Amino acid sequence: MLQKYGLAAVAATLIGVGSSAHAVDCPVKLGAILPVSGPMGQVGERIAETGLFAVEQFNEAGGVLGCPVEYVLRDTQGQSAVGVDAAKSLVDLDGVQALIGAVSSGVSLPVLTSVAVPSRVVQVSCCSSSESFTALAEEGKTEGYWFRTYATNRSQSAIGAKLTVDSGFKNTAVIYVNTDFGVGLAKRFEQDIAKLGGSITAMVAYNESQQSYRAEVTKALEGNPDSLYLVAFPVDGATITREWLALGGTDNLIVNNSLRSDDYFQAVGPQFLQNLQGYDSAQPRLPSVDSFNEMFEARFDSPPNGPGLHSVYDAVTVVLLAMEASGDIAGESIRDHIRLVTSPDGIEVHPGPEGIARAKELLAEGQTIRYVGATGALSFDRNGDVQAPKMTWKLDGDENVETGYLSTAEVAELIRMLDE
Amino acid sequence: MILQHIADGILSGAIVALGAIGLSFTMKMLRFANFSHSELLTWGAYSALVFLAFFSSFGGFFDQAIGPFSFGPDLLLAMLCACIATSVIALLLHRFVFERLSRTAGHMTMVFASFGVALTLRHLVVLIWGSDPIYYSRELQFAILLPGNIRVMPDQVFLLGLTVVVVIALHLFMSRSRTGIAMRGVAESPDLARASGVNVDRIITWVWAIGASGAAIGGVLYGMTVQLRPELGFSLILPLFAAAILGGTGSLYGAVLGGLIVGLSENLSVMVIPTTYKPAVPFLLILAILYFRPEGIFGERSR
Repeated sequence: MLQKYGLAAVAATLIGVGSSAHAVDCPVKLGAILPVSGPMGQVGERIAETGLFAVEQFNEAGGVLGCPVEYVLRDTQGQSAVGVDAAKSLVDLDGVQALIGAVSSGVSLPVLTSVAVPSRVVQVSCCSSSESFTALAEEGKTEGYWFRTYATNRSQSAIGAKLTVDSGFKNTAVIYVNTDFGVGLAKRFEQDIAKLGGSITAMVAYNESQQSYRAEVTKALEGNPDSLYLVAFPVDGATITREWLALGGTDNLIVNNSLRSDDYFQAVGPQFLQNLQGYDSAQPRLPSVDSFNEMFEARFDSPPNGPGLHSVYDAVTVVLLAMEASGDIAGESIRDHIRLVTSPDGIEVHPGPEGIARAKELLAEGQTIRYVGATGALSFDRNGDVQAPKMTWKLDGDENVETGYLSTAEVAELIRMLDE
Repeated sequence: MILQHIADGILSGAIVALGAIGLSFTMKMLRFANFSHSELLTWGAYSALVFLAFFSSFGGFFDQAIGPFSFGPDLLLAMLCACIATSVIALLLHRFVFERLSRTAGHMTMVFASFGVALTLRHLVVLIWGSDPIYYSRELQFAILLPGNIRVMPDQVFLLGLTVVVVIALHLFMSRSRTGIAMRGVAESPDLARASGVNVDRIITWVWAIGASGAAIGGVLYGMTVQLRPELGFSLILPLFAAAILGGTGSLYGAVLGGLIVGLSENLSVMVIPTTYKPAVPFLLILAILYFRPEGIFGERSR
C-alpha cells in the first residue's frame, strides 16, 4: 500500500519536472573562489559573506529559472596554485556553471587561463584590477569568458598622476611593489605623469617581506624628489614610509588605494602623515547604491565599508541575471547574456529581492534590462572591463577625509585624454 | 650617494654579523647547519618586548629616553633579559632535540630537524604575538646629517657601537679566559679536548649561550631600528649563512667580516642592478665562496 503511494509520488514528481518549461537541473550552482584564509583572509571573508548575501537575495526572489541557487565557496588562501585547484574541483566535480573570483590578479589569471576558458565557464572577478586581463582579452585569449565588476589599474594610475600634478608636485619618486599589479601600475603612472607635465626622479621596485628597505629608499631619494608615489600594501608600506621619512624624504606622499587602511596609518603614525593623499574607487551617488547599503546594514549590522563588497554583490547578481536570461545556463549562453542584462538601453532594475523579481518578470516578457547595482550602472566593454567613479582623500589628524570626486564620465574622459 | 650606500651596508651588516657569530660557532663546534638559528633573533626581539613592558611599567628613570636615542634604560635591561631568555630556549632545543638526535641520527637528519624547529619557533611567535608588525617605540626617529651627506639615525650609531663592544668582549673572552681557550680546543677536536680534561658539555652550553645572546642582541637592535615581525629571522637566514660561510665557520672575525661584506654587497648592488634583484646577492656570494674558497676567508683548509 505504502509502496503504491510512494510510486505515485515519484511519478507525480517526474511528471512535474517533465512539464516544467526549463531544461535545468536544480539546484543551480555558483562557484566562488576567494581568499578566506591567508594574508587577505579578513578581507576575503567579508567578500565571501557578501557574495552569499547576494545569492540569498536572489533566492528570495525565486532563484534562477525556478531553481534555488547553491553558493559553493572554496578558499584560495591567496595562492595561485590553491586557487586553480579550487576552481578545477568546482568546475569538474561540483559542476558549477559560473565562477566568482578571485581577489588577487595573480590568482584570477591562472584560474582564467587554465580553468575558466578551457572549460567554457564564465568567470567574474570582484577585485582583480591588473591590466594583464585587458591585454589578454584584446588578444582574444579570454574568449569572452572574463568579466570584472572592479575598475582596472588604468584609472588608478590616471587619478594618481592627476592628484600628484594638481598638488603642484614637479619631481616625483616612485616606489612600487614588484608584482604584476605594482609593476603595471607604476609603468602606467610614469607615462601618465609625463602627459600631465610632471616628471619622475626615480622608479624603484621592492620585493615583499624584506627585512628593511633602506637601500630602496636611498635609491629613491636620489634626485631630491618633492613627492613620493607609493604603490604598496600596509605592512611593507609602513616600513618603507618610516624609513623614507627617517632618512629625510619629503612627507608629500601620494599613495595607492591599497594603503587606505588604518593598519598603515597607525603603523607609521598619523602625526607623520599629515601631507598624505590618496585615491580610491568611489560608489556613485545613486539610489541603487543607497538601497544596497541599507540592505547590507540591515543584514550585517555594519555598513559595507571595505574593499570588494559592492563589487562582489554585483558580480554575483549579474551572473545570476544572465543565467536567468540565458534559459539554459550553459557557459556560452551566460557569457552572451551578461551584456544583455546590463544593456544601456534596457529597462532599469535595482538590487534587492524586489528588484530581482521585477528583472525576472521583464526577462520573462522578453524585454532587455539594465541592472544598476551596488556599484552603479555596470557597462562591460568588449574586454569585460568596467569603469568606476573615483574619489580622492587625505589624512586629517586621525580622520580619513574625502577631498574630491570624479564621476565615471570624468574618469573616462581623463583616461581618454591620457591615452591620446 | 655611494657613501650613503656604504653606511647603510655597514649598519645592516652589523646585525647580520651578530647573528652569524652564533651560527658560525654552532656550525663548527656542533657540526651541523642549524637553520633554526635565525629564529633565535626573532625570539630575542620578541622576548625583549615582554621584558620591556615589565621594566617600563616602573616608569620614571626607566622610561626616559637616553640622549638622542629612541629608547631608555628599560630597553637595555630588556635586551639583557632577552639574552638570557634566548639562551634558555637554545639550551632547551639542544637538550631535547639536537643532542638527542646527534647521538643516533646522521647529519642530514639534524639539518631537517633544525628546519622543523625553525618552523615551530616562527609560528609560535605568530600564535603568541600575532602576525602584525610591532614597534618598541611608536616614535619615528629622524636621521641626522653626517659629513659626506650621509644620513643615519642615532639608534643606528648605537647599534654599530654596541656591535663593536660585543665583538671586542667576545675576542677577549675567546683569547684570555680558560673557557674561551677550551672552546677553541673543542672546535678543533672534541675528542682531543675531552682527553685533555676539558668538560665538553659545559663548553657546548657556553657555545649555545654565546650564540643565542648574540642573536638576541641582533634581534633587539633590528627591532629597534626597523620593526618586529614574525619573519624577522627568516628573512635574515640567507645573509646569515652567507656571512658564516664567507668568514669561515668557527671564526669570530670571519663572521663579523662576513656580515659586513654581505651587508655592503647587498646595499652597493642596487647601484648597478635593479633593487628587485637585491635578495639574490647573498645567494651569489655563497656560490662564489663555495667555488673559490670553500673554507672561507678565515677558515682553515680541512685535511
